[in-house]
Amino acid sequence: MSEPLLVSGLSLLLLGTVLSLLYRSRTCRTGSLGLTCLSSCLLVVFAGEVLYGGREVLIESYSFLSPLEFNFLIDRLSAGFVLLISLVSLGVSLYSIKYVEDDKSEGRKSLHVALMNLFIFSMLLVVLSANGFSFLLFWELMSISSLFLVIYEYEKPESRKAALFYFIMTSLSTVFLFSAFIGLYSRTGSFDFRGFGLLDPKAVSGIFLALFFGFAIKAGAVPFHKWLPYAHPASPSNISALMSGVMLKVAIYGLLRFLLAVEPELWWGVLVLVFGSVSALLGVVYALKENDIKRMLAYSSIENVGLILIGIGLYLIFRVSGLAGLAGLSLAAAGFHCLNHALFKSLLFMAAGSVVHETGTRNLEEMGGLVKRMPRTALLFLIGAVSIAALPPTNGFVSELMLFQAFFSSSALAGANAPFLKVLLVISLSALALTSALAATLFVKVFGITFLAQPRTECAKQAGEVPKIMLLGQAIPAALCILTGLFSSRLFALFGFPVEVEVPDMLFVGGILTGAYLLVWLSVRNFGPSSGPRVSEETWGCGILAQHPTMEYSSAGFSEPLVLIFKKIYRTQLSSSRTFADSRECVFEHGTAEIRLMKFFDEYLYLPVAQAVDRVSMEVSRLQNGRLDTYVLYVFLAVLVLMIFTRWFA
Amino acid sequence: MISPLLTDPLFLEGAIKILFVFVLVTAALVISARNLASLLTTYTIQSLLLALIAGLLYLIEGSPVLLSIAALTFVSKVLLIPFFINIVEEKVKIRRDMKFNYLEPTSSLMVSIALVLLAYVFLSGFFALDRLFFFGAVIGLSLTLMGMLVMFSRRKVITKVLGYLTMENGVLLFGIFVTELPFIIEVLIIIDLIILVLLTTILAVGIDSTIEEYHQRLLKLKIWSGREYL
Repeated sequence: MSEPLLVSGLSLLLLGTVLSLLYRSRTCRTGSLGLTCLSSCLLVVFAGEVLYGGREVLIESYSFLSPLEFNFLIDRLSAGFVLLISLVSLGVSLYSIKYVEDDKSEGRKSLHVALMNLFIFSMLLVVLSANGFSFLLFWELMSISSLFLVIYEYEKPESRKAALFYFIMTSLSTVFLFSAFIGLYSRTGSFDFRGFGLLDPKAVSGIFLALFFGFAIKAGAVPFHKWLPYAHPASPSNISALMSGVMLKVAIYGLLRFLLAVEPELWWGVLVLVFGSVSALLGVVYALKENDIKRMLAYSSIENVGLILIGIGLYLIFRVSGLAGLAGLSLAAAGFHCLNHALFKSLLFMAAGSVVHETGTRNLEEMGGLVKRMPRTALLFLIGAVSIAALPPTNGFVSELMLFQAFFSSSALAGANAPFLKVLLVISLSALALTSALAATLFVKVFGITFLAQPRTECAKQAGEVPKIMLLGQAIPAALCILTGLFSSRLFALFGFPVEVEVPDMLFVGGILTGAYLLVWLSVRNFGPSSGPRVSEETWGCGILAQHPTMEYSSAGFSEPLVLIFKKIYRTQLSSSRTFADSRECVFEHGTAEIRLMKFFDEYLYLPVAQAVDRVSMEVSRLQNGRLDTYVLYVFLAVLVLMIFTRWFA
Repeated sequence: MISPLLTDPLFLEGAIKILFVFVLVTAALVISARNLASLLTTYTIQSLLLALIAGLLYLIEGSPVLLSIAALTFVSKVLLIPFFINIVEEKVKIRRDMKFNYLEPTSSLMVSIALVLLAYVFLSGFFALDRLFFFGAVIGLSLTLMGMLVMFSRRKVITKVLGYLTMENGVLLFGIFVTELPFIIEVLIIIDLIILVLLTTILAVGIDSTIEEYHQRLLKLKIWSGREYL
């Protein structure tokens, strides 16, 4: 029953791609996105059924040669990620119906829709792939289709730079994955993922490292994160929603697929936990100083990938230590946070896209007062912000709570490594706690600066509400953020994940909270200051005659105290110079002052590597002088070397 | 009087070995000759020698494929290709190729002696030393390498083409003595086609130039725009 659903869902996506490529009209684009919606619905039903039933199906589709086969595996893990991709795609495709029409060129709009469908299609097939060959093939298709979407506004130099950066990083990721799969093939004689379980535990560490770095680059874990803050602001908002919400999770899926099949070692867990903690903390610290709303969301994605990696790291540590219950809890937390982040980050990117669409700027300092002009978008953004800030009863709260619970129960660890692990876990726990607090601060700032107070610029004053279909696209993840939070314990029970330490019943918490909010609202309404007689008086304005938007709390002002606290991380450099008219330096003539944020990873990691590559390329390019004679000479010498090698050394 | 000799394997093997020496001499001439007309003549003679070798080998082994190779070589390389190149030589004004890259003719000859030695030592690791096909393979491999040497050490396009054709002769010789025959026939046909395409292209764009000028013409035709994108 399920396979026809899967096949028809995928076929509809392909049909949508072809349709919008063939006919460049608005009707076709809308039809194509309609097909995406329909396909997403079918795939949600399919994934739900597999998750509920817990069955496994292997589909062998096509084989080129013996190891090069298209095989697909449907189990709970892949179904979970198919569910995640389809839910986000459903919202994003509805949102895109109006959003893509913003461009002037018909051809580009159609290409946008076609590439988006292809992108979703390839992501689905990556998570369904049962062997390294089809995984890599669709992984590359996913990378290339998203690359073209990043470079969508190719006239802008920043888009070109972002695309180049993304291309280099994604290629690097593929190199790691490729070497891992070659390693798998050389040891098992097949690319099949089921071979992971057959690997010799001693020889598997190399494959783990290659896979971990490959997936960490794609997921944007620190220090491989630099492509995210470039690529997300450069691409259209619906694509940012898909890339941040879904594509990063595809990398997490790859890591999980491997880790669940092999017998892990303790240091793997420590490595993943350390990477996760650093990514989470640095992600949110960098996000705090950002004034570009989409770049800020990109940094926040790095933070959330860090949280997911923390969950995976804990899972590995507990599993190796023989604590199956805690391992299950950590894994469930990581998996649930994948879904949650996909939902609220796609919602936030879409809402931010609406704001950028209406105000024409991504700079927070130029927004303000939008709650009156875009009330529905404001509400939806608020739901996303509350979820990502992990406030109850939303889904973000549940997954972070599960992570905290796993940390708190770590006293059960025993054995020779227990003291070391306990210290590590306490450090990681404090990083997680700080991250959660800073994430809440971050979203208070973003919501406050964007939507509250007075508009700071004319553009913000002119903004209006976006069309209903765009709101509907955002309403789906928004509703799911609340519903998955409220029904989280039931969802876990329904899909058969045994979580030994119980997940709190958020429906109950939600009920209490709603009751409390209602009580506060009613009491304020009936007994609060507005219920009594009203007196209209002008307030004291500190001696300033008229209040002006420039006097509002600015984005940079809000984060200033935190920037001061974390100045060691930001490595802020202040430089100033002054010239005086007189020799006793009393009469000031001219002065300059500059605040510069040192880009630590750029200066100490990326640039040295780039410069080294550049130097080697310069040397190599000397060999390439454009003359046929020289090339023939190289071939000649290569033949001679080969002859000598095969005769005497082989 | 001749027919008993034609059935005597010892005589035939001896004849083939003598022809091998002639083939080497022609290869040396292709490396060192400056006059284009004599270069072409040398190539024609070399191809004729190859056809003869294939024919003699047919008399020893009796395989009809060898006869067809001999015929094919004679028609394509002794008649057809020299005829085409002759036409080209008549059209262009140049008569001599005096330009060399990396190696002057004398040093080229020294290198080719080393190449023959290398081919001998290389193949002695794989074959028995005293068999005929071992010598065939050595000469074939040396001829291929010497052809390649001509390709990068001479600068006129037409000489490069002759170097390429020499190389292909080497492959043919190697194929006759070592590789399984039906397969090599197909390869030969394909290589011949490539040569034909190569010749046609050069005829179309111009042959009276060095390779750099040829490249410039291609640039003018915007085949390679040479522009770099970000």
